Amino acid sequence: MSDGTYAGGPALEAVGLGKRYRRGWALRDCSFRLPTGRICGLVGPNGAGKTTLLGIAAHVLEPTAGDLRIFGAGPGSAEAGRRTAFLAQEKPLFRRFTVAETLRLGRELNPGSWDQGAAEHIVRAGNVPLDARIGTLSGGQRTRVAFALAFGKRPDLLLLDEPMSDLDPLVRHELMGTLMAEAAEHGTTVLMSSHMLAELESVCDYLVVIASGGVRLAGDVDELREAHTLVTGVRDGEGTPRDLAHHTVVESRPSGRQYTALLRPDGPISGPWETDTPNLEELLLAYLRSSEAPPLITPSAQVPGQAHGIRAVAA
Amino acid sequence: MSTLTDTPASTSSATRPARGPRLGGMTWLVWRQHRAAYWTVLAATAIALAWMVYQRAQLMDFLTGYGWPANSIESLGPELEPYTEAFVRASTALGLIPILLGVFVGAPLLAGDLEHGTAKLVTTQSTGRLRWLAIKLGLTALLIVVSTVALSVVFGWWWSPVKEQNTVMYWTSGAAFDTTGPVPVALTLFTVVSGVAIGVVLRRTLAAMVVTFGFAVVVQLVWSHFRLALGDTVTVTTDKGVLAENAFPTLPDAAYQIDQSYLTGSGELLGWSTCAHEETEQARELCLKQADVVGWSVDYLPISQMSGMQWFGASILLALTAAVTAFLFVWGRKRLV
Repeated sequence: MSDGTYAGGPALEAVGLGKRYRRGWALRDCSFRLPTGRICGLVGPNGAGKTTLLGIAAHVLEPTAGDLRIFGAGPGSAEAGRRTAFLAQEKPLFRRFTVAETLRLGRELNPGSWDQGAAEHIVRAGNVPLDARIGTLSGGQRTRVAFALAFGKRPDLLLLDEPMSDLDPLVRHELMGTLMAEAAEHGTTVLMSSHMLAELESVCDYLVVIASGGVRLAGDVDELREAHTLVTGVRDGEGTPRDLAHHTVVESRPSGRQYTALLRPDGPISGPWETDTPNLEELLLAYLRSSEAPPLITPSAQVPGQAHGIRAVAA
Repeated sequence: MSTLTDTPASTSSATRPARGPRLGGMTWLVWRQHRAAYWTVLAATAIALAWMVYQRAQLMDFLTGYGWPANSIESLGPELEPYTEAFVRASTALGLIPILLGVFVGAPLLAGDLEHGTAKLVTTQSTGRLRWLAIKLGLTALLIVVSTVALSVVFGWWWSPVKEQNTVMYWTSGAAFDTTGPVPVALTLFTVVSGVAIGVVLRRTLAAMVVTFGFAVVVQLVWSHFRLALGDTVTVTTDKGVLAENAFPTLPDAAYQIDQSYLTGSGELLGWSTCAHEETEQARELCLKQADVVGWSVDYLPISQMSGMQWFGASILLALTAAVTAFLFVWGRKRLV
């Protein structure tokens, strides 16, 4: 993995970030780094604080604890505001505006950085008429316009909250293609929350998994996958087989004598086991299902000076 | 309308709507978002102004025909009534302006954006959120000031020939006091800005409108209650007894009498019903003599104070408006969308 991305400092850095509402903590003790230029999936169970984290980064929420920096600047600063674009989960747009007026909003409020061509290209690709009112568009068309508005801003950091939830597979595929092409061309960093695990696999090269306890997994997708091994085989007796016991077992699924487990191996795996590198979905599901598994944060995602209480992975 | 060009920026005329002022940046956005409300206010103002100018012409025709100003209109009775009626109608409508604008312009101004999430959309663009707040409030306030100043001036101009006729309107009544000078401007600004603040706290358009309506009505009641307290009461006393034909002091034209009482030799005030139950004139005289009543003491407000009272009241309202505005900006900085 080439790590030239360290040079300019991280695009986003969260340190001990927390947000408490009246009914309790929505996000707690969240620390990670997102290197510049990565497309990062943000995953976690419902209520884990994904929307809250993105909201803090977009400066529509104020954190209760900790700190978050965007290219080294606070989310409320003019610089962070200029370099960040945010697509909120509900894709808010002015219902009475036409599509053209919505794009004009982007142009008027982002003087100097607005890319009308890119925004219009995204809208036209979906055959959305420019003179149609937002209120008359379908959910998918509206999402497309909201996407166009976010892209047209030419952000260095794009924050997307469940961007794909109301799109059909074809449009989802097309917009993800646009996203990757744009990001690659302009070196945009993307942080995107999603429940579509399969979708993330094809798009993301970076991953942050958060759950109620904080960050569970963070790092380069390939590094994370290679740090784990999926073992299958036949076991004798109950519990974790003896020859696997000294590895970190993230999740094990015995079914009769058949035994499947996701391990974080500590040294070579011996024994009559079939081993495989897990795919992203298997990895995510294992971590989301077993909340007591120790978190894994690869060095590129670690905040310096923060004690993570975990072993660094050999990349 | 879809004449968008592919070149970015600077060609901002491409999507310009056919009508409306040439605006850019945040001002364009705020005007575009609220243009229906803004145009309604401007159109209603224009219609009201035209109607009042016409009514004033009618009134002047009548007064000139009567021989005014050479002939005093003091004695005019029922002939003036249709013209009085027009004043009643106009002042009732003008009196509703603070409530209407508070409910339909103030309350939804930010509550709508908070409710529909568009506040998130706007504040995450490059232009800062305080600028958004400032232009929303500023443009709305400008529109309100333009509209209410015009209405106030024209209504005052229409009323001026018959200003001293208590049969038309008492100058101390809400009908005249709250619709002329700086009062309608200040009352409307205060109610609207309070409506905005209510919307910000409640974050729901409909709830904000209902609460703002209640608030605006309370403002009107409190204001009516304290209106007279804005003036310096003038007291006039006499020493020619109280029973004689012309013993009662002559007040200036259009003075608003607040209170009247009997004055005793020692300077005490007695209610004017003192000795009213005596059956004969002589008995009453004797009774008053025993009570040592020497004349009248009358409290009143001269019409010359009207302008001063209006400015004093308006400055209180404007100070409150500034306080609410300050709250809105503190909210804009601290409590986020």
